[in-house]
Amino acid sequence: MYRIRFHGRGGQGVKTASRILGRAFFNQGYAVQDAPRYGAERRGAPIFAYVRASRTPIYERGIIQRPDCVVVVDDTLMPVPAAAILQGCEKRTLVLLVSDLPAEQWIQRLHIQGNLICLPKAGEGRESPFLWGMACVGAVARLLGVLSREVLSDALRQELVTLDKAAAEQSSNTALDSFDEMKATQIQIKESSVAAAATYPPPHWVDMAMEQGPHTAPAIYAAATSEKLATGLWRTQRPVIDHTICNRCWWLCSTFCPEGAIHVDSKGFPQIDYAHCKGCLVCVGQCPTHAIQALAEQEASRLSGEER
Amino acid sequence: MKSTTDFHSKRDLPQKHILGTGTPMCPGCGGLAALHEIYDIMGEKTVFVNAAGCMTLLSVYPFTPFRGAWLYTAMASAPAGAQGVRDALDILKVKGAIKEEDDLEVIVLTGDGSAYGMGISATSGAIDRDLDFIYLCYDNEGYGNTGHQYSAATPHGVKTATSKGSRGYPGFKKDLFSIWAAHKPAYVATIIAAEPLDLAQKIAKASSLSGPRLLLALAPCPTGWSFDPSLSIEIGKKAVQTGVWPLKEYVDGKVVHTKIPKKRLPVEEYLKLQGRYDHLFHPHRDTKTLQEIQDRIDAYWHKVTYS
Ligand SMILES: Cc1ncc(C[n+]2csc(CCOP(=O)(O)OP(=O)(O)O)c2C)c(N)n1
Ligand code: SF4
Ligand code: SF4
Ligand code: SF4
Ligand SMILES: [Mg+2]
Repeated sequence: MYRIRFHGRGGQGVKTASRILGRAFFNQGYAVQDAPRYGAERRGAPIFAYVRASRTPIYERGIIQRPDCVVVVDDTLMPVPAAAILQGCEKRTLVLLVSDLPAEQWIQRLHIQGNLICLPKAGEGRESPFLWGMACVGAVARLLGVLSREVLSDALRQELVTLDKAAAEQSSNTALDSFDEMKATQIQIKESSVAAAATYPPPHWVDMAMEQGPHTAPAIYAAATSEKLATGLWRTQRPVIDHTICNRCWWLCSTFCPEGAIHVDSKGFPQIDYAHCKGCLVCVGQCPTHAIQALAEQEASRLSGEER
Repeated sequence: MKSTTDFHSKRDLPQKHILGTGTPMCPGCGGLAALHEIYDIMGEKTVFVNAAGCMTLLSVYPFTPFRGAWLYTAMASAPAGAQGVRDALDILKVKGAIKEEDDLEVIVLTGDGSAYGMGISATSGAIDRDLDFIYLCYDNEGYGNTGHQYSAATPHGVKTATSKGSRGYPGFKKDLFSIWAAHKPAYVATIIAAEPLDLAQKIAKASSLSGPRLLLALAPCPTGWSFDPSLSIEIGKKAVQTGVWPLKEYVDGKVVHTKIPKKRLPVEEYLKLQGRYDHLFHPHRDTKTLQEIQDRIDAYWHKVTYS
């Protein structure tokens, strides 16, 4: 059985890519499962999708724990613990990554034992993030070695019908070009045997004590528990306030931030809560003194010496 | 509870924000921007009764951004839910189970799909019964949570998931403000996050009154309207400056415009920022539809000025 796990952010064509791959397998005569993990499918939020394909019926269910291939549509997710990209990866797992950095650098940085292939972001046909997902599906299809170019091409046509003609053609070309690009490599994704349920590590269950009848409704007794969710991970651009330029106007940034992620400190200066700021950049556009600048998230965390 | 006099200038606006961060709303959500501004003023002594829509995702067990209560109802029946909560609170007060000062404000929270369509009957009934509640509709002009199909709030010519043709949505946005006002409730107002002082004054006024009080917030929606999230507030300001979104209130039987744009910008300044209107500009300029849209806005303001 083949098990391919996709990682990316909302808006990068991850869900579509997984469906195209599933469709291609199906057209080739495989039994297929393809499903995104349901969650907040919001622009920038980390998302996951899973494809299983087998010549025999598939009885495995749920998220893919031990992938044969991990597809990462956005390299800014690599160091994010919540994205859990390397979870369950073994020596035989191939990592396919959209990144402008050389593969060796990632292998070294993340101690990857198996193969890792990088598709440059800047490549032709990869101008928009949606096309990164398309580039990935083309490359994976080829690296599997069991799907023909024609089968992929049909699957693209079938799954991209909802796009307008020009966009569908562009997406399709991007995928097929990546397919061709991979012809030069010897690396192949290898299937692995069907795993017995007993060999799976048990999930981290939380035991809930039984309550009395009137209390068993799913009521939340604490305030603002949403703050436990780190929506800062959605950010690809980071707003940074220069307090030497800020004139503490009437705190427009703080009022307008849709998240309520900017507080005013005791000296009257606005402070951004980066654990929750989603990087919409409303504040950057609204500050009358232009005191807020947008930096690429990766660059910003490098500058501030953070390990994310 | 705040009184209307608390907000004279922008400096009086809250600097501490009490709606929790970490919600699953899209980056740049104009509805969330309005809600957080409103919540800062309404505070935690509130019960939100939320009909299905994007905002129901705010509270997915065990997470919630609210500090007070929140309750989920079916799409058509949030005002009926509010009646039940109000009655329960009143009974608890009569029984002495809660003190007067521990009473809660009951606030219906729905999208336009509910407010303009599915839930309008329940709303009408609640106003007829003079229910003591606030109704807050965040109007993103479509069924957002299910992929932005058109609703009765969708403006003429807009592209949605169910109006994809070259002419967009053939219908016209329903005038919900007037429908609500025709019931003669205690208060009706239009608001928008991009005008926080006007919003704060209206929320404070609504809080100081009792009976049915209804608030309609235009909610720029980057996902459904296809624009970059950073433009969310800018688009809201343009909606007011072009006269697309008149800021007004109905109180004591009269409609008063609270912010009349001195020199109205051409409506194109608003439309061209949004992908949902792209087809009016590309590949050819649809002069006829653009003029029609402008004419309707001009006619509205002509009536405001001369009647
Ligand atoms: C009776 C009923 N019909 C359909 C649905 C599915 N549904 C859930 S959210 C939603 C969209 C609601 O649109 P709106 O009220 O404008 O809120 P928005 O999603 O735009 O925030 C729909 C149709 C439902 N929950 N209940
Ligand atoms: S980018 Fe600015 S406005 Fe947007 S969430 Fe972050 S702090 Fe708030
Ligand atoms: S909007 Fe700009 S000037 Fe005003 S408080 Fe924020 S950073 Fe300072
Ligand atoms: S779809 Fe629109 S209204 Fe719904 S959360 Fe996203 S931005 Fe807000
Ligand atoms: Mg809506």
